[in-house]
Amino acid sequence: MKMRILLILALLLTTGTAAIAHAQDPVVVEIYFPIAVDSPITETLEGYAATFEEANPGVDIVFSYEGGYSDVKNKLLTTMEGGGDLPALGIMLATDIYDLRNAEAIVPWDAYISDDYLADFFPTWLENSYYDYDLDGTAEFYGIPFQRSTVLLYYNKTMLEENGFAAPTNWEELATTAQALTTADRWGILNPNSWPYWVFQPFAIGAGQNIVSESDSEVFFDAPEVVEALQFWVDLYEVYGATPAGVQSNWGDAPGLFADGAAAMILHSTGSLPSILAKADFEVGVMAVPGKEGGYATVSGGGNLYLVAGTDDATAEAAWNFVQWLTSPEMAVDWSINSGYITTRQSGLELDTWTAYVAENPQAADAVAALEYTGREFSVQQLNDVRNILHSYILSVLNGEATPAEALAAAQAEAAAILSIYVME
Amino acid sequence: MMTANTFDLHTYWTRHLRPRLKPLPYLLLLPTVYFVYLFTIMPTFKVLRDSQTYYHPNRPAREIMSDLSLPGIEEAKRSIRGPHDVGFAYFRAMFDPDTVEGERFFRAMRNTIIYVVTTVPISMLLAFTFAVLVNRRLRWIGSARIAFFYPTMLPMVSAATIWLFFFTPEYGLWNAALRWFGYHGAENWVINPDLALVGLIIVAIWKNAGYFMIFYLAGLQNLPEDVYEAAALDGASWWVQMFRITLPLLRRTTLFVSVVAIISAFQTIDHALVMTYELVTGEADLLLYEIYNQRFILQNYGFANALTVVMIAILLGLTIINFLISERENE
Repeated sequence: MKMRILLILALLLTTGTAAIAHAQDPVVVEIYFPIAVDSPITETLEGYAATFEEANPGVDIVFSYEGGYSDVKNKLLTTMEGGGDLPALGIMLATDIYDLRNAEAIVPWDAYISDDYLADFFPTWLENSYYDYDLDGTAEFYGIPFQRSTVLLYYNKTMLEENGFAAPTNWEELATTAQALTTADRWGILNPNSWPYWVFQPFAIGAGQNIVSESDSEVFFDAPEVVEALQFWVDLYEVYGATPAGVQSNWGDAPGLFADGAAAMILHSTGSLPSILAKADFEVGVMAVPGKEGGYATVSGGGNLYLVAGTDDATAEAAWNFVQWLTSPEMAVDWSINSGYITTRQSGLELDTWTAYVAENPQAADAVAALEYTGREFSVQQLNDVRNILHSYILSVLNGEATPAEALAAAQAEAAAILSIYVME
Repeated sequence: MMTANTFDLHTYWTRHLRPRLKPLPYLLLLPTVYFVYLFTIMPTFKVLRDSQTYYHPNRPAREIMSDLSLPGIEEAKRSIRGPHDVGFAYFRAMFDPDTVEGERFFRAMRNTIIYVVTTVPISMLLAFTFAVLVNRRLRWIGSARIAFFYPTMLPMVSAATIWLFFFTPEYGLWNAALRWFGYHGAENWVINPDLALVGLIIVAIWKNAGYFMIFYLAGLQNLPEDVYEAAALDGASWWVQMFRITLPLLRRTTLFVSVVAIISAFQTIDHALVMTYELVTGEADLLLYEIYNQRFILQNYGFANALTVVMIAILLGLTIINFLISERENE
């Protein structure tokens, strides 16, 4: 009996001291993080963590590098399913919002954010941040913009000017300029289209119709403008001979080829700007993609900061403080300069660090200017299924197996069948 | 009386029972049994159970009238997310080519069979040829062996990345070489519906031939020399020696290599993840890749588990065949 009492006492004592020790432990904010661009962002982020920890003793910021975007998502979902330790934050694709919320992997930020805070973000970055999961008429806010990019048209300004061309202002000029600059060992334009939706959207928007709306269950694959956009892609090689025929799996190679002068223009992410500027020995021009009859168009992309479900209040509070600091205009500008992503906050453009940076790198200002023409990135319910449909039909057109009108009509029918269960009357 | 009784029991214990109970071997086996249970037996039963569950974690928990698009399921108002118990509906769907599941399953099986019946014989033939070539005493023969074996040492992901570069249209090594031989067809090897599977097969053969060569080389070096001396005395040519002596004596090596090759052909998808993931139409999807695709990309949980059951059945069948053959050989 005595022994048992002693044992219980000992047990109580150990748990008690453990609890006290626990209270003095720092709040750990773990962040799952993907690496999707070619710059030393790991060091930058470790630096941010150290700076924040210094100003906020008692908080421990831990970045976990998990591979690419899909690895982060898979790791989060499988950890959740297996009942493992989850991070507080995840940086995942803005377009993954439906998958993540439906899987109950993320919770809204609404308790923390204010309208003032959101108002300073470029509106285009917020287009994939809201989701009305419970269909009560009010959409909750899930994704805080962090590493964001757009599609840009990169052009070799020096080469264009030497050949008497200005930057193209519509499809006709884009095609004829590219045609004129195509030689035996140089392409007029590279259009990396083996994973096509993202690079395709600026053309659809430029013809007058985005492939998605605000809705999570509506697509416009067979709209006449979208068909025209795909026809223009085909014309670029069939009529103008200005780009490699068929499917181009050259997303990884295009920036290097452009910087080497083996392509006069390329369509690529803003994320490639630093590496292209570092390599190119000519004047690089960047702009949104010219529209069919003039005007410009592009599309948003990249990752948002999500609050992971199951994060306890104290950790969530600390995570929010870190996110608020990380997305402040000063930090957003610093992150943009170090990573190549576009700054997320409008007021950041007035900071001295930014004006000094764009004086050296005017292309960064041009990339921000393109945000005015940005449409919503393709995201709907069951995104992977619906996107696969669009991709397979676009590829069948590029492989010469179907006309744009036929293919996109079939894509629309298949996509609508999948999305029909989400259409609420 | 009491004392005698106890005494008897004790004798009985020591003489008859105790020697039979040797706890130590079982104790030593316990960790292994535990891990086999944890990583093999339990997951197998979990997969069997989950293959009867309709569950789409990427969908919202909303209720609509639905037959879940699976054969033999009654229409009812139920959640599009699940989980619902659907019995063997996924297996019925897999063998019904009109369903999405059936279409994907047939395509994955067809691709896998094409992949196995091409990669296995070709890489074994190459392996045997390499082994004969390097099975001689020459200066620098070690470096020739290393050259053939080197693809094996590379992880599959690196090998696939290297080949991705070879397959690049226009300036890729593979396409440049083919053009030199007069090829003027499509060059998008990893994204072309007709070529992507061929691309995977080429990489697998390149990667595996050197590995299987090691087994043949070991086999060749264990062959008795007196048989060849006798054959040479009888005037048997090199070809006769090859087909009448070497190949029959290497029968067991061939058998072993073919089983290993077939099983590994079912298990490899690293190169598909690197090379052909953009080909979403599925012309290059192997069975295991399809499982990954359904489970992690499309989040069709039940179908992924049903495919896994088929995969386990195939591998179990192959293992049993291998076991039976090797047992017969041993007799």
